[in-house]
Amino acid sequence: MTNRYEITFDALKKRNEAAFIPFAVAGDPDPDKSEEIFRAYIDGGADILEIGYPFSDPIADGPVNQRASQRAIRNGMDHEKFFKLVKKLRSCSDIPVGILLYANTILHLGTDLFCRKAADAGIDSILVADMPPEESEVLQSSMEKYGIGRVFIVSELTPQDRIKYICSQVDSFVYVVSRLGATGTDLKFSDSISGTISRLKTVTDKPLAVGFGISSAEHVRKVTQCGADGVIVGSALVKNIELSYKNANFLDKLREQVFDYKTATRIR
Amino acid sequence: MKKDVTLKGYFGRFGGTFAPETLMPALNEVQHAFDAFMKDQKIQSEFKDLLEKYNGRETPLYFASRLTKKLGGAKIYLKREDLNHTGAHKITNALGQALLARYMGKKRLIAETGAGQHGVATATAAALLGMECDIYMGTVDMQRQRPNVFRMNLLGTRVVPVDSGGKTLKDAVNEAMRDWSKTVRTTHYAFGSALGPHPFPTIVREFQSIIGKETKMQILKVENRLPDTIVACVGGGSNAIGIFTPFLDDKDVKLVGVEAGGCGLDSNKHAVRLTHSDLSRTGILHGSFSYVLQDKNGQISDTQSISAGLDYSGVGPQHSFLHESGRVDYTYATDTEALDAFKMLCEYEGIIPALESSHAVAYAVKNAPLMPSGSIMVINLSGRGDKDIFTVADYLGINI
Repeated sequence: MTNRYEITFDALKKRNEAAFIPFAVAGDPDPDKSEEIFRAYIDGGADILEIGYPFSDPIADGPVNQRASQRAIRNGMDHEKFFKLVKKLRSCSDIPVGILLYANTILHLGTDLFCRKAADAGIDSILVADMPPEESEVLQSSMEKYGIGRVFIVSELTPQDRIKYICSQVDSFVYVVSRLGATGTDLKFSDSISGTISRLKTVTDKPLAVGFGISSAEHVRKVTQCGADGVIVGSALVKNIELSYKNANFLDKLREQVFDYKTATRIR
Repeated sequence: MKKDVTLKGYFGRFGGTFAPETLMPALNEVQHAFDAFMKDQKIQSEFKDLLEKYNGRETPLYFASRLTKKLGGAKIYLKREDLNHTGAHKITNALGQALLARYMGKKRLIAETGAGQHGVATATAAALLGMECDIYMGTVDMQRQRPNVFRMNLLGTRVVPVDSGGKTLKDAVNEAMRDWSKTVRTTHYAFGSALGPHPFPTIVREFQSIIGKETKMQILKVENRLPDTIVACVGGGSNAIGIFTPFLDDKDVKLVGVEAGGCGLDSNKHAVRLTHSDLSRTGILHGSFSYVLQDKNGQISDTQSISAGLDYSGVGPQHSFLHESGRVDYTYATDTEALDAFKMLCEYEGIIPALESSHAVAYAVKNAPLMPSGSIMVINLSGRGDKDIFTVADYLGINI
């Protein structure tokens, strides 16, 4: 269904690599810099982009991403600028682009219109942080209509029968959270992830991308070794955006950070 | 695709389970445990016993004769929820949820609080049952409700300051939900109002509907008939849904929910979500589909009210349903009207009401005189106002 994802995951599999998937909030710290940040991600070697739509009350996100949302909102990010940003990125790259957002954002614009615009902008998948598959019938039919891929989350607490149900609803990739709680940066790496990946592999052959709390290249390496098909890093990058976006060389630094993460996905 | 049969929780088109996946197993667990809890005779009799002997139920239905005479018109009865232990209706739900948590084997309670009443109630229930407790509270609310912050500390609870967004109730719910998604194995999130993802709007309604059941019995006893009007303030909406529920099928009883008009509708500083639907729209906040105050880009608006407990951008999903179905009339009272009503109740009845409840009193002040004498209005006096004396003093320009 989502060709870009299939092409990417197939190619990486042949090279025995995991996909590296960096995340940032669209419009953070402002629309122009945000575009440059995603370009730096692509230049640094990102295989897939995960773009957050800023929301005032992001209950699945920790303080780092919430502050990023607030900066983006304050500096004018809205539907129109969001789709324009994605379109620009799409015009210069063929890598899959997934978006992560909250249900109210889609409802506000209207589900069908949102999906039409998303498809038009070149978005490959949508993950709604506060919309489990049971509540997403309407959204899923719009996504199908416009050829947008579905992503849902699985955690270590998800019972096996629910894992099966969720995997049956997914087509782009399964988003596996590596630990409980909101997004954020962790010093310690959660060991439960290898168990969750193994449980998933017994029921699905869909790509598994792991995120939440993954901060260092060492974490990325470990997750790759656990058998993940993709590794998502968000807060650790967003934190650096927050700390250094006023510095002259901050894009170079981000590019290097992404390059290091990407390198860590090559070691199986 | 088929909907999971265990997921219900819709009131018409409102409600639902819009929660992050990490919470889904817990929400399922709470729902099954709640069903069992309600059928378990042993735990129900323990609950009933606590409500009587610890909480002080049933609360009186009091005929406010001086206020009635002053306003001229309907006979005004006050459902004295302010006489509950800890000073508001919140304790009834907190005790229920603490027992439910223990029933599920959870050792820790967390909750959000606005006015601090639900925080104090949860802290109290936690102390009573020997559970650990953390309460999330916006820093703006901590400042204006500092007596309640101190009370929670005295009860052995940690109050976690929330400094994001508008620093009020909405932001406290965000943080509590984040905590819960991390600690769900050991912790129960005791939602304080009839909102959040299913099954919380139903759980809170079931626990609070004792207010309406008592009211019905009491009014039949003294007046031998049902009231003409029942009025309650609506923040998240727990005291209102509690008193309304047993009367929903009594079509001749007019039910009125009063929202916080803040500085007035033109000011854009208010928490009016239902009265004027053009001010808000349907959306998803904190796990359910309901009316939500939001801006032109779908970002949730900050609200303003003199009463911290009504200062919330969303509203319990069942209220949105009752609004659209027309069964309940929603209106609002401004800060000034609520304060005037607050003073009137102090001076005419010797009762210092919570600023939240003062919004319901303000409706009576306006509307009771228009009703024929002999008609009956019941006000749900959801809480007492000791916690509000600093806010009121500030407003009156008095230094205490």
